[in-house]
Amino acid sequence: MIEVRELAKHYRVHRREPGLRAALRSFVRREHVTVRAVDRVSFTIAEGEVVGFLGPNGAGKTTTLKCLTGLLHPTTGAVRVLGHTPHRREPEFLRRISLVMGQRNSLFWDLPAADAFEVNRAIYGIAPGPYKSALEELVDLLDLEPLLHKQVRVLSLGERMRCELAGALLHRPEVLFLDEPTLGLDVNGQAAVRSFLRDYNTRHGATVLLTSHYMGDVTVLARRVLVIDHGTLRFDGDLAALVETHSPHRLVRVTLREAVPEQTWAGLGEVSSIDGAVVTLAVPRAETAAIAARLLTTLPVEDVAIEDPPVEEIIRGVFAHA
Amino acid sequence: MRDVLPAYPSLVRSATLVAATYRGRIVLSLLTAFFPLLTMAVWLTVVAEGGPPDGWTTGDFLSYYAAATLLWNLTGDRVVWQWDADMRSGDLSVRLLRPVHPFHQYATSDLGQRLVFLVVLVPALILGAWLVPGLNYPADPLRLAAVAAALVLAYAVSLLMASTFALIGFWSTQTTNGWLLWWGLGSFASGWVAPLALMPDWLRTAGMVLPFRTTMGFPVELLMGRLDAHQTAYGFAVGLGWLAAFALLYRVAWRFGVRRYQAVAG
Amino acid sequence: MNPWPRQARILGICWRAAVTGEMEYRFNFLANFALSAFWMLWAAAGASVYFRFTGTVAGWTQPEVLVVIGLFFALNGLRQALLQPNLERMTEYVRRGTLDFLLTKPFDAQLLVSLRHLKVNNLLDPILGLALTVVGVALSGRGVSAAALASFLLLLACAVLLMYALSVVLMALAVVLVAGEELGRVSFAFVELSRFPVEMYRNPAQAVLTVVPVAFLTTYPAAALLGRLDPYLLLLAPAVAAGAVVLATLLWRRSLRSYAGASA
Repeated sequence: MIEVRELAKHYRVHRREPGLRAALRSFVRREHVTVRAVDRVSFTIAEGEVVGFLGPNGAGKTTTLKCLTGLLHPTTGAVRVLGHTPHRREPEFLRRISLVMGQRNSLFWDLPAADAFEVNRAIYGIAPGPYKSALEELVDLLDLEPLLHKQVRVLSLGERMRCELAGALLHRPEVLFLDEPTLGLDVNGQAAVRSFLRDYNTRHGATVLLTSHYMGDVTVLARRVLVIDHGTLRFDGDLAALVETHSPHRLVRVTLREAVPEQTWAGLGEVSSIDGAVVTLAVPRAETAAIAARLLTTLPVEDVAIEDPPVEEIIRGVFAHA
Repeated sequence: MRDVLPAYPSLVRSATLVAATYRGRIVLSLLTAFFPLLTMAVWLTVVAEGGPPDGWTTGDFLSYYAAATLLWNLTGDRVVWQWDADMRSGDLSVRLLRPVHPFHQYATSDLGQRLVFLVVLVPALILGAWLVPGLNYPADPLRLAAVAAALVLAYAVSLLMASTFALIGFWSTQTTNGWLLWWGLGSFASGWVAPLALMPDWLRTAGMVLPFRTTMGFPVELLMGRLDAHQTAYGFAVGLGWLAAFALLYRVAWRFGVRRYQAVAG
Repeated sequence: MNPWPRQARILGICWRAAVTGEMEYRFNFLANFALSAFWMLWAAAGASVYFRFTGTVAGWTQPEVLVVIGLFFALNGLRQALLQPNLERMTEYVRRGTLDFLLTKPFDAQLLVSLRHLKVNNLLDPILGLALTVVGVALSGRGVSAAALASFLLLLACAVLLMYALSVVLMALAVVLVAGEELGRVSFAFVELSRFPVEMYRNPAQAVLTVVPVAFLTTYPAAALLGRLDPYLLLLAPAVAAGAVVLATLLWRRSLRSYAGASA
C-alpha cells in the first residue's frame, strides 16, 4: 500500500541573524545551509493500518507526508503509494488519497461548508448517488447538521476541522494522510476528531497515516508508531512495545490523608514529584502491584492511581538514547 | 483537457455560487468597471476643443469606449493574483492535491466570478448605450457572430497569457510586478491607453503583431465595423497564433515549475 | 499626560519592523521601485497621446499635466504605502477577533489601527512623484513664487488629510462590512480619478469631481503651484480637510460602538 525506501529530502535555506543590521547585511550577502529534513527513511504500511507519526517539531514528519502525497519530490530514495509514484501526481492517484492539514484551510472562509463540498464534488467528479451517501454518512458521523449552512468563519476551530475532514473524505479516499489534525483544538474537539477517525477506519478500512505532537491522538488511534527525529527513523513498531522497552517504570500516584516523613518512600520507589498531598513514585514495572498494595496497607492513603508515564516522556527517552 | 471539460459546467456553476455570495464586492467592483470612460471623457474634451483627431468623432469615441469597457471587464488578470497568493501562502499545495490541474481550478473560478459580474455590468452597459445617443454599431449578423468569436478569443488569450505569467511564481516572487510591467507595456499596444488608430505608426505596427490587441482593440474595432474581411481574418489569425503559443509556453513552464516547487516548497 | 509622543513611538516601532522585514526581500524592494518609476513614465506617456492632436486640453498644457500626474503619483504612493495595507488588514482584524485585542490596548485605536502597517515598497513613490512635478514646473517655463509654494504646501497637506479621512471612513465601514479589500477599491478609485486635472473631464464629471472632492487632491495643489489658484480655495481646502477628518473620526467611533455592541 505504502512503500518508502531510503527516502531523503534535503533543502537549501538561507539564514540570517535577527535585527535590522543583520537584515541589511543579508541584503548584500547571503549564507546558505543544507538541511536534511528527512534522511534515508524506510518503512512500509499495509492496507487498513493506522499509523502514528511521532516526533518533535521540525523532525521531518510533515516533509515525509508531503513526499508521500506527491507535494515534494524526494531528493533520493523511492516512494510508492497505491502503486503510484506520488510526485507524478496522476489524477487517478490523487482521486484515491486525501491530505488534511491542521493549519491549512481548504474551505471558503466566507461561505458555508456545504458550498465547499459542492466544489469538491465537481473537482473529484463524484457521481450523485455516492456523493449523497458519503455526505449523509459524514454529516452523521461528524455531527455536521447544525454547521453545514453556517459561514466557515463563524465556526470554532474544532467545528471547522470537522468540516475539513468531511470535505476531505467525500470522495472516499483509500489512503488518508493527516498532518496535525488536532492542532489547537480543545479537549472535546480532539476527542471528536479521534473517535471519528477510529470509526471511519473500521467502517471503510481506509489506511490512515497521521502526524501529531499530541500523544493522545496516537495512543487512541494507532497501534503502530513511527518515531522520527532529526530526519531519521528512531523507532517503528507497536506502541505497547515502545512503552515496554523504553519505559521500564510505571507511575504510582498516591493521595495522602496526612503528611508523612520523606524517608517513608525510601525503598518503595523513586519520588518523581510531590505536590501537596499527592506524591508520584516511579516504580519498576514488574513490582507495581506489590508496591501499590504495600502503600495501601502501611500508609494513610486516600487514593492510589497507576499509570504509564506520558508518551512524551517515553519519546524523549527514545531520543535521548539514540 | 479531455477529462476536465465535463467537469467545467459544475465547476463554473459552483464558482458562480461562490461569487454571488459576495454581493457587496460586486457592487464595489462596478466602481472601477467604468474606468475606460475616464479616458473617453478626456478625448471628448479634445474633440470639443480642437475638432475630431484623425477624423474620430464624438460618436466614434463613445462607441469605442463603451465596447472597451465591456472588454476591460471581460478580460483580466485576476488569476495572476490568485496564483501568486496561493504560491506565497502554500495553499497551492491544497490545489495540487486535487485531481484537476490548478489551471482549470483557477480558470473555472474566474469564469464563474466573471459571469456573475457580467450579469450586473451588461444591463448597465445596454442601458447606457440606449440613453447615450451616438453609439453606433452596424448590426450585421455575420459581423456580430464574428464579434462573439472574437470575445471568446479575447478571453482565452488573456486567461492563458495571465496564467503563463503566473507560473513565473515558481522561480521568482516578482510575478505580479512582472505581470504589471507586461500589462503596462501592452496597454499601449492593446487599445487601452488610446485607440490604436490614434497611436504613432510604430506603435500601431507593433500592436498588429503582439498579443495585446486581441484582448481589446480587435473585438472593439470589429464591433465598430472598422475592419474589412481581410483585416478580420488577420486579427483572428494573430489571436489564434498567440493562443497556441501561450498554451505551449504554459505547458513547458508548468512542467519545469512544478518540479521546482516539489524540490523546495510544499 | 500627553499621549502623542507615545503614539508616535509605537508607530515608530511598527514601521521599523516593517522596514526590517522588507529588507529580507532585497530584490523585491528594488523591483518595486523600478515598477513605480515605470508606472510614472506610463502615465506621462499615456497623457502624451492627447497632445499629439492638440496643444492644450481644457487649458492645461502638457508640462502642466505632468505637474498633476506627479502629484497624483505622490499621493497614490502614500495611499499604497500607508493607507491600503491597514485597510486591507481590517477585514482580518474583524474576522480573527484581533480588533477586540487592539481595542483593549491602552491607547487610542484610530491612529494605531489606521497607520500601523507600512508597505515599504511604495515608500519612495512620493519622492518620485514630486520629482515629476518639479520637472513639469520646469518644463512649463513658469517661475514659482514663495507665495505660490506656500499655498501649494498648504493645499497638499489638505489633500493628504482628505485621503486619510477617506481611509478612516472606509475602515469604519470595513468593521461593519468585513470587506477591506473591496473597500480598498473605493480609495483606489478616488485617488485614481485625480490622475488628470478635473477640468479635462468637462461637465458634468468635472462638477461631480469637485464636490466629491477629487479636485482637492491634485488639481488645486497643482493650480497653486502654477500660480493660478482661486484664492478662496486657500480657506475652503483647510475647512474641507478638517471637516472630513472630524466626520471620519465620528464615523469610526460610531462603528466601534456598533462593533462592541455586536460582539458582546
